[in-house]
Amino acid sequence: MPHPVYVPCVNINDDIVLIVDVTVSAGDTVKTGDMIAEVETDKAVIPVEAEQDGYVLKVLCDVEERVKVGAVMMWIGDSPDEPVPELVSKVPAEESSGKSSLQPTAKAQVLLDKHKLDAGQIPHQGERLTVRDIEAFIAGEGSTAAIVKAAQVDIQQGGEELLPGTPGSLRSLSAEEHGMVSTVTWHRDHAVAAYLEMTYDQQAWEDYAAAFAERHKFMLSPLLPLMAYRLVKLARDIPKINTTLVNGQKYLYDQVNLGFTVQVGETLYLTVVQQADAMDDRQFIDALGEVQRHAMAKKLRPDESIGATLGFSSMARWNVSRHVPVLAPYTALMVAHSAPPGDGQSAVLGASYDHRILSGNDVAGVLQALTQPPEV
Amino acid sequence: MDKIPGFDADVAGRPLIALKPESLYAYGDLIRRTEQLILTQFGRGLVSGTTHTCLGQELCQMAVVRALTQAEDVVLSNHRNHGHFLSYSGEFTGLVAEVMGREAGVCGGHGGSQHLAYRHFHSNGVQGGMSGIGVGLGLARKLDNSESIVVVMLGDGTLGQGLLYESLNLASIWDVPILFVVENNGIAQTTDTTSTIGGDIEARGRAFGLSTWRLDDANPLLFEQVEKVVEEVRHGHRPGFLVIDTKRLGPHSKGDDLRPDSEMQAIGQRDPLTALGQRLPEQTRLSIEELNQAFIQEIEAAATASPEACFADPPRHIFTCAAVEPECSETTPPAGQGENVRTHLNRALHHLLESSDKTIVLGEDLHDPYGGAFKVTAGLSSKFSGRVLSTPISEAGITGVTIGLSVAGYRPVMEVMFADFLTLCMDQLYNHAVKFPGVFRDVEVPLVIRAPSGGGRGYGPTHSQSPENIFTSVPGLTVVFGSHRHDVAGLLVNATTEWRYPVLFLEHKLLYGQIQDPGEFLPLDTNSDDVAAHLFPTLVRRRDRPDVTILTYGGMLPMVEKVAEYLEEEEELEVEIIVPALLSPLPKASLIAHLGDSTRLAIVEEAHDDFGVSAEILASLMETGYRGRAIRIGTPPVPISSARSLECQILPSEERIINEVVSLFN
Repeated sequence: MPHPVYVPCVNINDDIVLIVDVTVSAGDTVKTGDMIAEVETDKAVIPVEAEQDGYVLKVLCDVEERVKVGAVMMWIGDSPDEPVPELVSKVPAEESSGKSSLQPTAKAQVLLDKHKLDAGQIPHQGERLTVRDIEAFIAGEGSTAAIVKAAQVDIQQGGEELLPGTPGSLRSLSAEEHGMVSTVTWHRDHAVAAYLEMTYDQQAWEDYAAAFAERHKFMLSPLLPLMAYRLVKLARDIPKINTTLVNGQKYLYDQVNLGFTVQVGETLYLTVVQQADAMDDRQFIDALGEVQRHAMAKKLRPDESIGATLGFSSMARWNVSRHVPVLAPYTALMVAHSAPPGDGQSAVLGASYDHRILSGNDVAGVLQALTQPPEV
Repeated sequence: MDKIPGFDADVAGRPLIALKPESLYAYGDLIRRTEQLILTQFGRGLVSGTTHTCLGQELCQMAVVRALTQAEDVVLSNHRNHGHFLSYSGEFTGLVAEVMGREAGVCGGHGGSQHLAYRHFHSNGVQGGMSGIGVGLGLARKLDNSESIVVVMLGDGTLGQGLLYESLNLASIWDVPILFVVENNGIAQTTDTTSTIGGDIEARGRAFGLSTWRLDDANPLLFEQVEKVVEEVRHGHRPGFLVIDTKRLGPHSKGDDLRPDSEMQAIGQRDPLTALGQRLPEQTRLSIEELNQAFIQEIEAAATASPEACFADPPRHIFTCAAVEPECSETTPPAGQGENVRTHLNRALHHLLESSDKTIVLGEDLHDPYGGAFKVTAGLSSKFSGRVLSTPISEAGITGVTIGLSVAGYRPVMEVMFADFLTLCMDQLYNHAVKFPGVFRDVEVPLVIRAPSGGGRGYGPTHSQSPENIFTSVPGLTVVFGSHRHDVAGLLVNATTEWRYPVLFLEHKLLYGQIQDPGEFLPLDTNSDDVAAHLFPTLVRRRDRPDVTILTYGGMLPMVEKVAEYLEEEEELEVEIIVPALLSPLPKASLIAHLGDSTRLAIVEEAHDDFGVSAEILASLMETGYRGRAIRIGTPPVPISSARSLECQILPSEERIINEVVSLFN
């Protein structure tokens, strides 16, 4: 039968000893009194001797290893090929400090609580949800879990490229940059994007917006928000433009979440007004205003930056006369508003659209309707 | 001493009571009249609290005290102390005013009838409680090669108290110049002592090897006999045990005399004071009594005229002579780098013994080659023979001795083998050591008691505890508990040399082998409101923007450091660690200043956290409007099991601390 050799207790104050030498290995024969190992404590080096004749079955420690007094360091058997027993402890294993994969770190939990997020809705890169994951999620341009995951695959694939020959330095992407890459990658890889535009006279809209401003005592013209709102209303009438394609099937949204681009410094945000179709025009303008303010302060709430079903983009501020916007992930239509090239000239209203869902005819109809303000 | 008719003072200011019958009677009569006055005042509602008169025992009480001729002789008494006190001091007004709670009281009204300290007279209200202290005072005198002795007054009722036997034993093995006097009046409060004393009274003295005598205070030769006994103890260099048979004429205190009339009559007839008076010529006796009567009336008037005692500024703590920042304090020679806590402590003790003859190290099994249960005192007894004492197993007695040594100007550092045994010392600490500095302005008790504390070794329920929560609640006791990051040698030297109050110095067993190294830890700024804080600094390992602060002390620190490492790596937290060494008086001002703004705080201690150190810290924070989240992590109020596998489920573990800290973030 197998006999255990225990790590000796040399003096009561030392719980751990150092294995200084192991002089036998499995298969060796030993006689009672043979030295089989040496251990070192705070005070001295002590030999460990075989307590019986036999065969070394298994050595469980290494030289230079620190071992607990009382642990089994070796098995010696009466015969050379006995099985070595498994020692079963009834003491519950220490609570594993490995957490389930979605368990956020403590610091991450603080952020979740602060932003009223659910850990389950946030994609994470490593085993656990970290602060970086959450920050990326918050800053991400309308990214949903699936998109980021998809984008991650794309981005990771880029790892096989050779670096350019010109001198330069590598830097990791920021959360916003990451979001941008995810968006354009979806546009490229999933949507079949096409573009249409038409010119129109902006006067009717300007008058409409001015009257609205006067009525509601606004300082600034709410032209763009009103145009975006018109688009929301159109979507209610033409559900096709508030639809996307997922896994080969059409996905009809139950509500209109209007995505509206906002440039803050170097960062382009797609701010989102959730359930815009449930609002009247004034409510929508107020809601959009608030979301835009949050964006300016870089304090967008997650629900203000994800889930767009329909998009509206304007580059009129920069005197851009035409731009072809990238479709936000899982949207079929993004209207592009530009500035008139000169005073009195016609403005251009364009739209990028996902040709898997919409035809040119559909989009033309929308644009046509959109060039006119609502009947007063 | 008052101006007593017919009596002069000796050089030490004590009344000279001649061996002549008229002097003896006069003084005995004065004592009786004072006692009667006190009882009268009691009846008038003018006495603060209770009192215990020595009516009938005046001569017994006078006999030993008057025979003490050396200025440094000590009298330790008990609750029935007036006769002893008046014979020692002649302070009649002082005594009466004290009992009445007046400013002119010999102890300013703080002690009352039972608790008096006056030069080398000291009485306290716990039966037998002064006996160990007496041995310490006597030992000091022996070490000083002084001719003076210590007298400890006991009653036959005291013979039930365990500490007394420890003291008799200690006095015997060390040949201390001490005389234990048993005033055997046959009654303990209202209980006849025939039913409370097993065996023979004198045999107790003989059993411990003390010179033993039995006298009777009705014997006209009492005073001469007592003088001889005192001289024998003084010159024979052996401790003594003197039993004096006497009778109590009055009640235990007031109104609690339930003895039958026949017994009282017999006592009255025996009364030695009356008998002494009867032996004088009548005219002599009458004139003595007349003078005494007038004197007592003066005393009454003086005491009654004194205003009620009043604090100008009620004390918030006992530390009146708080240590100031020392300009140049004794510093230990620096220990080497990479040495462990045990070595540092050993060096500190070595330094303390070397730098002053007054340092005494005492405890069980300290001597070489064993060098103490945890080897902290290794090498000391060989080098400092006579000042490193291995004692019998008498924790209470040794604590008393330590108190006595410190009162006599020595610097005793006592070791209790396991902190669990500190409970055996409790009465000596709680009712004696910390009471003296608080009650008596001129009494200092600069003692240090060291004890290895804590579990983690599987030693079981009575060898694994961390009792700091009990001792921090003893008012006036300073509790210091260092860690391997603290300069533990510095802490011990400061406790012994810079801080003049009783200190409990705890050391965690598992830290002895740890290398002492401050690492990233730096001292926290002290606040001048915090008493003694600069002697026993708090350390802090800072972080710029901590998410959580963990406060811990003593043996928990290594585990807390591991926990902090985990939390920083796995939970993305910034963890600040703060480690006080001074648990009581808690350096509240500096802790609150530092912790007040923290959003999350965990306090980790190995002690039971119910009613403990962490509770005190959090309560103090709460009082200042703390708004963060806090949690205590300690040991539940259950015994610490011996099996290692059970022990680690009871004591705080890394897992539990991590989980509790993380819960602060949910």
